[in-house]
Amino acid sequence: MPSRELDRGAVTGAPHAAGTVAVRPDADPAPSSILAERASRFVSADDRSDSVIAAILANRPTATVVHAEVAEDVPHIVKIRGFSLHYGEKQALHDVSLDVPVGKVVALIGPSGCGKSTLIRCVNRLNDLIDSVRTSGVLTIGETSVLGPETDVIGLRKRVGMVFQKSNPFPKSIFENVVYGLRIAGEGRRSVLREVCERSLREAALWDEVKDRLDESALQLSGGQQQRLCIARAVATRPEVLLMDEPCSALDPVATAKVEELIGQLRGVYTVMIVTHNMQQAARVSDYTAFMYLGRLVEYGPTEAIFQNPRCRDTRDYVTGRFG
Amino acid sequence: MSDSTEPSHLDRATPAPAGARVATRRSVLLLDRAMSLIIRLGGIGIIVAVLGIFVFILWQILPLFRGAAVELASSGRAPPGARLMLVDEWSERPGFLGADGTLTFIDLVGDAPAESIDLAGRVGAQITAAHLRPTTGTIALGLEDGSFALADVNYRAEFDDGRRRVVPEVNVGAPIDLGGGRGRVLDVDYGDSGRDKVAAAIVEVEGKLEVRAVVLTQRRTLVGAGRIEVRGAFDATPLVGGTPKAVLASSKGDSFLVVTDEGEIDYFFAVDSGFELRQRFSPFEDQPDPRISMAEFIFGDVSLALVGVDGTNRVFSLFVPEGQSVRTWGRTKQFPPLPGPVSAYTKSTRTKAFLVVAGSLASLRFSTTESIRWQEELPFAPRLVAISGKNDRILFVDESSRLHVYALSDPHPEASWRAFFGRIWYEGADRPGFEWQSTGGTDDFEPKLSMVPLLIGTLKGTFYALLFAVPIAVSAAMYASQFAHWKVRAFVKPLMEVMASLPSVVLGFLAALWLAPIIETRVPSVLLMLLLIPSAGVVLGLLWSAAPVAVRNRAGLFGELTVLLCGLLVAGALGWIGGPLLERLVFTVPDPAEPGRRIADFRLWWPAFTGADFQQRNSLVVGFMMGFAVIPIIFTIAEDALSNVPQSLRSGSLALGASRWQTAVRIVLPTASAGIFSALMIGLGRAVGETMIVLMATGNTPIMDFNIFSGMRTLSANIAVELPEAPHHGTLYRALFLGAMLLFLMTFAVNTVAEVLRQHLRERFRTI
Ligand SMILES: Nc1ncnc2c1ncn2[C@@H]1O[C@H](COP(=O)(O)OP(=O)(O)O)[C@@H](O)[C@H]1O
Ligand SMILES: [Mg+2]
Repeated sequence: MPSRELDRGAVTGAPHAAGTVAVRPDADPAPSSILAERASRFVSADDRSDSVIAAILANRPTATVVHAEVAEDVPHIVKIRGFSLHYGEKQALHDVSLDVPVGKVVALIGPSGCGKSTLIRCVNRLNDLIDSVRTSGVLTIGETSVLGPETDVIGLRKRVGMVFQKSNPFPKSIFENVVYGLRIAGEGRRSVLREVCERSLREAALWDEVKDRLDESALQLSGGQQQRLCIARAVATRPEVLLMDEPCSALDPVATAKVEELIGQLRGVYTVMIVTHNMQQAARVSDYTAFMYLGRLVEYGPTEAIFQNPRCRDTRDYVTGRFG
Repeated sequence: MSDSTEPSHLDRATPAPAGARVATRRSVLLLDRAMSLIIRLGGIGIIVAVLGIFVFILWQILPLFRGAAVELASSGRAPPGARLMLVDEWSERPGFLGADGTLTFIDLVGDAPAESIDLAGRVGAQITAAHLRPTTGTIALGLEDGSFALADVNYRAEFDDGRRRVVPEVNVGAPIDLGGGRGRVLDVDYGDSGRDKVAAAIVEVEGKLEVRAVVLTQRRTLVGAGRIEVRGAFDATPLVGGTPKAVLASSKGDSFLVVTDEGEIDYFFAVDSGFELRQRFSPFEDQPDPRISMAEFIFGDVSLALVGVDGTNRVFSLFVPEGQSVRTWGRTKQFPPLPGPVSAYTKSTRTKAFLVVAGSLASLRFSTTESIRWQEELPFAPRLVAISGKNDRILFVDESSRLHVYALSDPHPEASWRAFFGRIWYEGADRPGFEWQSTGGTDDFEPKLSMVPLLIGTLKGTFYALLFAVPIAVSAAMYASQFAHWKVRAFVKPLMEVMASLPSVVLGFLAALWLAPIIETRVPSVLLMLLLIPSAGVVLGLLWSAAPVAVRNRAGLFGELTVLLCGLLVAGALGWIGGPLLERLVFTVPDPAEPGRRIADFRLWWPAFTGADFQQRNSLVVGFMMGFAVIPIIFTIAEDALSNVPQSLRSGSLALGASRWQTAVRIVLPTASAGIFSALMIGLGRAVGETMIVLMATGNTPIMDFNIFSGMRTLSANIAVELPEAPHHGTLYRALFLGAMLLFLMTFAVNTVAEVLRQHLRERFRTI
C-alpha cells in the first residue's frame, strides 16, 4: 500500500533533530470518556502538565522526551521522524520520532495497544498487508526511504529481519526453514546453504539441539526451539536490522532466558528493535528503551535512565507498575 | 440429602455432601444423554442408508452373474419315430413330424387328443427331408420327386372361460420344383427375409448328389400373400468342393451354405445371374479329424454354431475382414469341447443361445459371451430337443420316444463378467472389442453391454473437464486469496457462488445449442486463445516485474488488475481474430473438387491429419461446459483452504523478502495442499457424476478413444439415456444398475484414495 500524506497533522519542514523535545500540535478529536477516567485515576492534579493523558484531555500537543545520550553523535540506522499512522479512520501512531543507533538493542515498551507492534511493522512495511493503513512522515533505513512509492519493498524486507510474537516456522524441514530467505533470493548451492544454515543455527543457539535432525519437520520442535529457529531464519540473510515483536511472550521462563541470552549475543552484530511488555526483559536485554503510550512516543533514552530515572510522569508510573 | 427426621436447622449448618454439591442438574444430564443418542442414531442412520443403497444395487445386479437354472418339470410320451420336434411359445402343444410324414400335436397341459396332419398326403409325395426354422415355425419339406414344399405352423392362442387354449394351425404350400432332374431330396432348407427368399437342397439324382438352389418371389395382392413362384433355379453342384452333406439357407434370403462330408463349407451368395461361390472354408482344418458333425445357424443367421466330429465347438460369424469389401465367415468363438459328435441341436428363438446334445450331455451355450449357461449329463440320450419361444422350457425326446420337459430359467443370458468387462467378438465385427449398444432395430440384434466404453467415456469427460477447470479454478482461488484486493475478492466470491448455482441442464443446453456450433467453426481460434491467453499472462507478468518499482507501486493492485485484464482481453481477441488466419495457413486439406486447391477447414483437416473423428458436440465443448460447472466448486473450496493458511506464515515469508508469488507457491500452496486436494477430488466427483451436460452436449456415442473432437457416453448419461428403454428386471435394467454400482464404486474409490492422501498431506503440512 503506498503511503499517503495525511490531511491532518502532516509533517512540514525539516525532520526533528534528535535530542529536542518534539512538541507538535495535535488535532485529535475530543478526548474520550475512557481517557478522562484514566486521567482521574492515575494523574494527580499537580502533575497533569507532565502527562500524555492530560495533554490529550487539554487538547494540547504531546511531547517526546528524548534523552541526550541517544542524540549523541552515534550513527543511526533507522530514522523515524514525525511518523503517523491511521488504520482507516483510527489513528494508531501520532507523530512518532525515533532514531535507532547502529548495532544497539532498542526496546519498545508500553501498555498493550499503544502501537508498539504497529510501529515496528512499519519498518519492514509489513503493514502493507492491511488494506486500510495510511502513513505519513519519514522513515528511513540507512539512506533508503521506507515509505516512498519508489521503495522496493521486497528488497527492503531482505535488509530487515523480523521475529514474530507467535513462532511461525513454515511446514518444512528445519533446514529449509533456515535457508528460506536464501532460497527465495535464488541461492541454490548446497554448500552455501549448508554453511549458512549452520552459522545461523549457531547464532540462534540452536545448532547443538537440532544438528542431527535438520531434515525433520520444524513443527516437531518445542515452542522455544521454534522461536529460536525463527530467529535463525531471520538472521540467515544477515539483515541490517532485526525486528522482534514480543518474541518471548509465548515462551516458558527457560526458553525466554535462552532467547534473551541470544539477543545479548546478537547485540553489536545486528541492530535490534524489540517490542516487549515485560519490563524486566527490556531492562535486561536493551541498550535503549522507548516508552510508548496511546500511540505517542513518550520518552526515549538509555535503558538505565528510563527505568531508574525517567523524566516523564507517565514513564515513571508505567515502569513502577502503577498502570499498564 | 438430609434425613427428614433431623431438625431442619442442622440441615443448614452442615453443608451438603460434596457429591450433591457438584452434581450436575438432572435436566442437563438428560438433555446430554438424549442429544448424544440422537446424534449417534443420526450417524448410524446415515451409514445404514448408504449401506442400504449399496446392498439394494448389489441385489439388483447379482442375478446378472448367475447361470441358467434347469430342472425337470414333467415327462410324457412323444409319438414314436419322430424326426423333428417343434413347440409353441407356451410349450403346451409340441408337434412331431413322424417318418411317415404326419405332423402330430400333443397336449401337455390339457387333455386334448393328439391331432395329426398328414403332410405327405397334403403335398402328395413322400417326405424325404425336413428342416425346421423355429423362429418362424416353417418346415421345409424335401420330397421324393426332387421338389420341396413349405409347411407353416402357427400357434393361435384361444381363450374361453379365461383359460388359454393353444391351437396349432398348419398351412402347407404347393410343392415347388427345384429344377433339374428328379430324385430324392436328401436335405433342404429355406430362408425368407420377407423380400428375398431362397431355398437350397441336396437331391440324389441317379445315385449322384446334386446341390440346387432356387430364388423365390411371392406376389402380394390386395387380399393377401400370393403364391410363391420360382424366379430362378441354380445348380451349384459343379461348384461344390466335396460330397454335400447338408445345406443351410440364410434367413436373409441372399445366400446358402453347403456342408460337405470332407469337413468344408461352401458359402454361396446371390448375384444377378444366380449364386457365386464366395468362400470355401474348413472350420476344423486344424483338428486331426476336420469333419463336421453339426452346422446350424444361431438366431439372426449371421453366426454358425459348428461342432466337429470330435466334439470341438466353434462359432463362425459373417464379417468384413480388414482390407476386404465383402462379408465372409470367420472364426469368432471357441467353446469347451463336447465329448463327441452332436446328436441333437436347437437354438433359442430370442437370444444367441443354442443347445447341443452329445450322447447324454446337454449343453446350453451362449454365443455372444462364449459361455456355457448350463450343462448336464442327463439320465437319457436325447434325440430331439426344442426350446420354447418364451425361453422357459426345454423339451427333450429320448431314444425310446419319451418326452422330458425341463423348466429353464435364464433371464439374463447375455450377461456375464466377460460381457461387461471383457473383449467380445460381436457378430459383424472384424475383431473382438468393447462395445455398448443395448438395443437394436431388429429382433435378432445382439445386445452389447460392455461397461468399458462407458467407463472410458466417464474418464474422458472428467479428464477434459478437469483439464480445463483445475488450472483456472486453482489459479483463480490463488488470485482471490493471495493477490486480489479485498474489494475484488468481495466481488469474485459471490459471483462464483452464483455460477455454482446454475442448473447443469442450463449449462448443457447452452453447450449444445450455443457453444457447440460456435466452437465447431472456430476451433483454430479456440486453440489460439488457449495458447495466447496463458502466455499473455506470463509475458505481462514478466514485463510488470521488469517495470520500475515506482510505476508498480503507484499502479497498486487495481492498476495491476486492469493492466492484466486488458492484456488478457487483447490476447483473447487476437486469438479469436487470428484463428481463421491460422486455419488458412495450417489447417488445410486438398479440395477434392478442384485438384491443386486447398480448403481451409479444421473440421476436415483433423480427420485427414489424425484419422480421428470430428464431431460438433465433442469433448472440447463438454470440457468447457462441465469445467464451468466444476470451477465454482473447486474455486470455493480451494479458496477457503488457501485463505485458511495462517496469516503468520504469509507474514513470515513476506518479512523474509519473499515476493507474493514466492510466498503463494512456496508457503501457502503446500500448506493448503490438503484442502486444495479435497477441492480437486470434490470437483472430480462432480465431474464423474455430472449427467445433464454430457447428455446434452455430446452425441452420447459410446466410443473408446480420448479424441478431444469426438464425444463420449458416460455411465451417468447412459443411465439417463437408457432408463426409459429398460424393462423392469430385464438385463438392460440390471446392467444400468451395474453402471450405477460402478459409479458408486468409482466415487467411493476416489474418495477413499483422496481421504488417505489428504490425511497424509495434512499431517505433513500441519501448522500449529
Ligand atoms: N489491523 C488493524 N486494524 C485496525 N486497527 C488496528 C489493527 N492492528 C492494530 N490496530 C489498533 O492499533 C492500535 C495499536 O495496536 P498494536 O500496535 O498492535 O499495539 P501493541 O502492539 O502496542 O499492543 C490498537 O489500538 C489496535 O486496536
Ligand atoms: Mg503487539
